[in-house]
Amino acid sequence: MQLIGQILHLLITPALWQTTLESGVLLLLPALGGVISERSGVVNIAMEGMMLTGAFAAVAVAEVTGNPWISTLVAIAAGGLMAVIHAVVSIRFRADQIISGVAINIFAFGITAFLNSKITNFQGFNPVKPSAQLPYLHIPILDKIPFFGPIFFDQNIIVYVGLFLLVAVQFMLFRTRLGLRIRAVGEHPQAADTAGINVYSIRYGSVIASGLLSGLAGAFLAIGITNVFNDGMTDGRGYIALAAMIFGKWTPIGSFVACLIFGLGTSIVANNSTLNVSRDLLSMLPYILTLVVLAGLVGKSIPPAADGQPYTPGSE
Amino acid sequence: MAAPQAPTKPAKPGETSMPVIWAKQLGRLIGAPIGSVIFAFIIGAIIVLITGGDPIQAYQGLFCGGIGLFCTGDLYSSITPALEISSTIVFATPLIFTGLAVALPFRAGLFNIGAQGQLTMGAIAAAAVGIHYASWPGFILLPAVLIVGTLAGAAWGGIVGVLKAFTGAHEVVTTIMLNYIAAFFLYYLLRGGPMQLAGQPEISANVGAGAQLPHFLNGNGQLFGQPIGVYQAHTGILIAFAVAVLFYILLKRTALGYEIRAVGQNQRAARYAGISVKRTLIITMLIAGAFAGLAGGVEIAGLSHQLTIRYATDSTGFDAIAVALLGANAAIGIILAAFLFAALRVAGPVMQGNANVSQNLVDIIQAVILFSIAANFLRTFKIRLPALRQTPPGEDAPMVATTVTELEDTEPSEPAEVGDTA
Amino acid sequence: MKRSRLQFVVIGALLLLLVPALAACGSGGNSSSGPKVKVGLVTDTGGLNDKGFNHLAYVGLQNAMHDFSNVVGSVKESKSDADYIPNLQGFASQGYNLVIAVGFLMAQAVATVAKQYPNVHFAIIDSTPSDANGNSLTLPNVEPLLFHEQEAGALVGVIAGMLEKGGTTKLKKNTISAVGGVSIPPVDKYIAGYKWAAQMEDPGVNVLVGYSQDFSDPTKCKAVANSQIGLGSDIVFQVAGGCGLGALQAADTAGVYSIGVDTDQKADAQNVIASAVKRVEVATYLAIKDVVNGHFQGANEPAFTLQNGGVGFAPGNITLSSDITAEVTKVENAIKAGTLTPPTQRSW
Repeated sequence: MQLIGQILHLLITPALWQTTLESGVLLLLPALGGVISERSGVVNIAMEGMMLTGAFAAVAVAEVTGNPWISTLVAIAAGGLMAVIHAVVSIRFRADQIISGVAINIFAFGITAFLNSKITNFQGFNPVKPSAQLPYLHIPILDKIPFFGPIFFDQNIIVYVGLFLLVAVQFMLFRTRLGLRIRAVGEHPQAADTAGINVYSIRYGSVIASGLLSGLAGAFLAIGITNVFNDGMTDGRGYIALAAMIFGKWTPIGSFVACLIFGLGTSIVANNSTLNVSRDLLSMLPYILTLVVLAGLVGKSIPPAADGQPYTPGSE
Repeated sequence: MAAPQAPTKPAKPGETSMPVIWAKQLGRLIGAPIGSVIFAFIIGAIIVLITGGDPIQAYQGLFCGGIGLFCTGDLYSSITPALEISSTIVFATPLIFTGLAVALPFRAGLFNIGAQGQLTMGAIAAAAVGIHYASWPGFILLPAVLIVGTLAGAAWGGIVGVLKAFTGAHEVVTTIMLNYIAAFFLYYLLRGGPMQLAGQPEISANVGAGAQLPHFLNGNGQLFGQPIGVYQAHTGILIAFAVAVLFYILLKRTALGYEIRAVGQNQRAARYAGISVKRTLIITMLIAGAFAGLAGGVEIAGLSHQLTIRYATDSTGFDAIAVALLGANAAIGIILAAFLFAALRVAGPVMQGNANVSQNLVDIIQAVILFSIAANFLRTFKIRLPALRQTPPGEDAPMVATTVTELEDTEPSEPAEVGDTA
Repeated sequence: MKRSRLQFVVIGALLLLLVPALAACGSGGNSSSGPKVKVGLVTDTGGLNDKGFNHLAYVGLQNAMHDFSNVVGSVKESKSDADYIPNLQGFASQGYNLVIAVGFLMAQAVATVAKQYPNVHFAIIDSTPSDANGNSLTLPNVEPLLFHEQEAGALVGVIAGMLEKGGTTKLKKNTISAVGGVSIPPVDKYIAGYKWAAQMEDPGVNVLVGYSQDFSDPTKCKAVANSQIGLGSDIVFQVAGGCGLGALQAADTAGVYSIGVDTDQKADAQNVIASAVKRVEVATYLAIKDVVNGHFQGANEPAFTLQNGGVGFAPGNITLSSDITAEVTKVENAIKAGTLTPPTQRSW
């Protein structure tokens, strides 16, 4: 009984939901990138590496410029650069996209850790100054609303950006001409080509978009949620985003729901000081939940038909 | 369009003797991987140069630290080559098992990111038996430890297969989830949980003496100037070779192997041929999990003799993906790739310790090897070994890719394909 | 087209291999006076740039290399605990004079390797070597570098307790907290001293303790700190190395106070009121110095305490009132004199 009371108390703690939303949006950004990329037919398991590159770039640039906006832009570009490699290798060279993705992840870990050691002579970067961090917005008056105020109106600026991007990408994919083209290229590239759509351009653009979004997530992680760079600091979040994307059946909204589940898991673990349960056992919850939901409710995950297949004009 | 073929004279079949053909086939098989490795080392050298290091010193360190070659000069003459070779064997052992655990599902069109979690569960089960029944004699305890580890891994892999077969749940998601569940379960056991050694978080007690695989070198004396105890290479590598042979036989000489490959090529065609796709997927994941679980068991029995959080934090199960891909999902390729990755892993700290070049250079090199294997840059730049010249058009497709591109081969038009229960 | 590309690549590759070879010819070996003392440092999985004790140990090594021209230092970073034994053996097998292991978690690995190499000196930070059953061992060639973290924790605990008692803190729920990494003795001793001293000053104070189960990922410590702040914690003591930077940041964001650990962290966050300092760099330096001077202490090495300056506290960014500083000095002197003894065991 006491445990149930503790759980109920935990559920009405604003901090729980505040962290849930923050962690959820951190996963949402690369997941949105994955959705765009895979909808165009390019498998992307490299969000992890793109995010990590973004995180490194953000901290390195913040150290030099002290400006969060420049740092974020560079981080976005750095994620995009990694995506260009993935795009060239998998579109131009028609390489296996999973191998390329695995390679990007290893490469990103290696190059960021290598440069981190080299630039700072094994000392690591100093924590980023508050003025160079992405700010938390305390929206006046609204943030005083009980319970909901802290959750929705006392968040990092990137949380709002992420929610905006969620709506924008959902709209773009399913309500615009561009979205139709992306989906056509991912479902049936030959037909799209016949219809006059440039398959390569669409795919390049989509993969690079995934890199930009992942780079933004890296900046959010390194100079928003935290203020440091550690080797390998993304710590598998890119893979969780990948799982969220598949869980969400390659849709932005669905992915967001999955991201929130993982975010809630993170948050419950962080807020369990009132619960007398092993932190490590609690940490298993979101993953078990996902497995159960996946097995019982969501069922078969069907990727875009041409996902993972390099396009060769005239083939078929 | 594909690059135009090299305009060398086609050889007339009748004029070519069998050894030449074999040599050419061998060249075709290993040409791309070797070329990729060389390409990666060149890129690595450029990065070291740009960042103000000395690539010669760095690479001398990698050769010396990995395979005991070129241990000379001020920097490296103090290294004992035999010790480095021993360490490379130690690190190659689990990579062979897990590389096979990734490769087999690849052949069936499944992407097993979960070798890590399967290894974790194998190690947990093996250690639990080895500790709980520590007093049992070795001829019972050692097989028990290895078998239980194998079974635990198989069970963990089997979950993936069952979910894939009966609900269509994507194996990439399920394996990632199962990795995390296994990792946190291990953390729980070793941080305040039932397997933690008193007062020592993150490690357990030792398994019984009977649960330990013998080392190749035993005794109390000195060998190559070092105490014999430091040579940790253990007989687990022989088990790894045996499993690799098993993998080969399974794939090439059994009906099940044929079914696995058929399912990997095209599920629909396999079904028309009378193969049960569901059964094949489940069995594939069971076997793959068994391989990875055995890796955990062998590591407990041969190396660590205790459970530690390395079985979740070490990246063996992820490196295995790269090993399987570099090894072209074939047994001999995986063994070679595992030794390459192990050598690099062992050599990294030697290079950093003695030449002050960050050991993360090793990750960069590994990644570039994969890139160039995947993209087959070599073909595009038309650097060809003589043996590669006569590759007929259409046969020089990326050798690895063919097995993997079928990965997402699920047809939306047939939603009931694997979802229908018998 | 084809040929020119091929030539380009081949020539480029050759050039790349030649340039460093030529460069290497020009550089000579560096001369040093006296017999070389080779010192190897093996980090735990946090790595050199962990902004915690691995980093401090490296600083100590660098300082020693600066002061003693015959000291040659090298570092190996451990990617997982599977690397501990090979990395330690790597240095020992090369005839290093001193091999320093950073961290409690290497206790068994150090014992294993030290027994294999009885003629090599070892030092281990935060622990004694231990056997397979977890019992601590006394080995003649291993110098344990132990700290009385509880004494440093007590000093910052005095500050936290006094601030709470004074009622000048933000949330006014009479609650303070600590964010630990993993529950290992060096972490728990800090927190034990902190809790003990805070409750000595303000018996009613509520002390929350949480563990992030991590020493490097700042998001984890930030989340734990946020949850504690949500429960009313006015002062967050981070005891989690690089992970704990997230806790300091959480305190800044929420406008509550924070306390740094291991090194002076006032530059890392605005609201740092003090740092509990553990001079790992000094201990490392002294261990090296002992070997250089031939005075290796082995198991006789005394622990680093307030009394000998091995632990202490550093002021933060907020000026403390004179009665608080006076109380800190009083407690400090009492601990040094032995009239006050902070606990070392966890009581939470």
